[in-house]
Amino acid sequence: MKGNFFRLNSAANPEKERERDIMEQPILEIRDISVAFDGLVAVNRVSLSVRRGDIIAIVGPNGAGKTTLLKLITGLLPLFKGEIWFKQQRLDRIAPHRIASLGITQVFQDIQLFSNMSVIENVMVGCHVWTGADFLSTGLKLPWVRAEEGSILEAAMDKLSLVGLEQKAFAAPSSLSWGQQKLLGLARALAAGPELLLLDEPYGGLIADEMEKISQLILGLQCQGITVLIVEQLTGVVMSIANRVIVLNYGEKIAEGTPSEIQSNEQVIATYLGNGLAGK
Amino acid sequence: MSKILLSGHLQYFGVALFAIVLLILPLLAGPYPIAVLVDIGFYSIVTMGLIILMGFAGQISLGQAVFFGLGAYVSGILTTQYHLSPWLALVLAAIATGGIAAIIGRAMLRLRELIVAGVTLALNLVFYYLVTSLVDLTGGASGMTNIPRLSLDGFIPEYTLLNYYLVWIIAFLLLIFSLNLVNSRVGRALRSMNQLAGGSEETAQALGVNIMKYKVQVFALSAIYASIAGSIYAYYIGCIEPDTFGVQLSVRVVIMAIIGGMTSPWGAFLGAGSIVGLTELLREFMPVLIAGPTGAYELIAYGIILVMALLFLPQGLISICHRLVPQGGH
Repeated sequence: MKGNFFRLNSAANPEKERERDIMEQPILEIRDISVAFDGLVAVNRVSLSVRRGDIIAIVGPNGAGKTTLLKLITGLLPLFKGEIWFKQQRLDRIAPHRIASLGITQVFQDIQLFSNMSVIENVMVGCHVWTGADFLSTGLKLPWVRAEEGSILEAAMDKLSLVGLEQKAFAAPSSLSWGQQKLLGLARALAAGPELLLLDEPYGGLIADEMEKISQLILGLQCQGITVLIVEQLTGVVMSIANRVIVLNYGEKIAEGTPSEIQSNEQVIATYLGNGLAGK
Repeated sequence: MSKILLSGHLQYFGVALFAIVLLILPLLAGPYPIAVLVDIGFYSIVTMGLIILMGFAGQISLGQAVFFGLGAYVSGILTTQYHLSPWLALVLAAIATGGIAAIIGRAMLRLRELIVAGVTLALNLVFYYLVTSLVDLTGGASGMTNIPRLSLDGFIPEYTLLNYYLVWIIAFLLLIFSLNLVNSRVGRALRSMNQLAGGSEETAQALGVNIMKYKVQVFALSAIYASIAGSIYAYYIGCIEPDTFGVQLSVRVVIMAIIGGMTSPWGAFLGAGSIVGLTELLREFMPVLIAGPTGAYELIAYGIILVMALLFLPQGLISICHRLVPQGGH
């Protein structure tokens, strides 16, 4: 009875039905992708699907192809074979800056902060995708450019406050601790307003408190509807926040499932987790 | 937020003070210093464009003399052969030079920075051979003469003084344009892709910056600055020849940018002022110190002073100002 009611209701409102269909479809779909560098296969026939609002962890040993996979999604590396789709749009023929404007942002493993800018300016660059002032209009400082600069500054301060770095806004990035630099990288990526956030080893080099803070932030982003794809070697910490875990080894996907399924997967234990780490 | 406001106010205060100094200076100086200041104005405009290109976007150019020359020649041709107004010719020359630079930039800027530097260096030679070959249009190796002067009839009758105000008003307007540009979305995008000074093309792209578009646009912008200076130079001198726009000028402008400092458009005035001033000082005082021809000694002293300046102020003269004036980081 209840099911019939909903069916009748959505049939009467095709707009809503289409919206619901879109929400139920995977936000990211990777189909059978491969890439090789100088004959060495880095990613081999990997397929995966990411639902909107999920936190997905991709784990695996060094050289498993995790970072390469992220760079293929953001277009920073050319795809050899296969297809990548984001919100029903094929990505693998689009330039990286266009991919960013579609709603995908990456935080790099080494963060790559701009050392020639202050902390707040780093975050302001993150706002580039949703602003539009050009050479002439900025040079002439037209009224709408001033208004846009104001909203960029406001958004950047907002993201810095979110990660707790508002007091460091005018400092040089090099004056920040490693953990703060990780947070700044995250704030900069969030300033772009991503729908899909790609985090490359966000916990690398952090102490326990900093890891906890990053985890809380990621969970907060999930509540805001942001889909998060995390590449990480520290399996323990991602197992606690991920909805699903994908394991890569030598560029191939060897397992996919919930954290508990992965922790009890014999192949994963044998090749990656080891008996000591399983269940952690 | 307050730091940004303070920085903005200091910037405007600096610009206002600069305008007052420029207005008063001719009242205190004789004809010769005014002529030197006109030269500094030309160099400042070209150097400012180069600072935005090299200091902010991280793209090396050793070919700014080509765009300076293009501005001069296109203006010269349009005024002498097509009898256009010098003001209209200046605008058309700037548009044409910007267009040519955009075409060259699109082909060249995909390459690595050092290769780009090499290509721009080669542009000087291409331009020289082109100008000397197109004799009917450019006058060939002997150059173009009878280029009409710019005039503002009834306002400033004295010719050098007129050019002083003309050059410096344009330099001043371009300074404001440049300051607005570098402290904006565009300026941040340029700095984000500047691999020579802490930026990263990869990260910039991942944040939505279309690096190829920005590289081409900033290259064209720097060429437009040089073209404007070239046009006024042609009107000021009245005759131009290809040797004026050679590799030496390109290298001189790069030295000015380095000495002045590439982290601010203000560096252009410091660089151009110090290099032109130094040259004039050596020319003036070397004969007092050494008997006979002093040309070689002037060059040696010039070289030593430049090397010392680079050793002790690697960030350029602007770094002294940065130490004196608090930076808002924006």
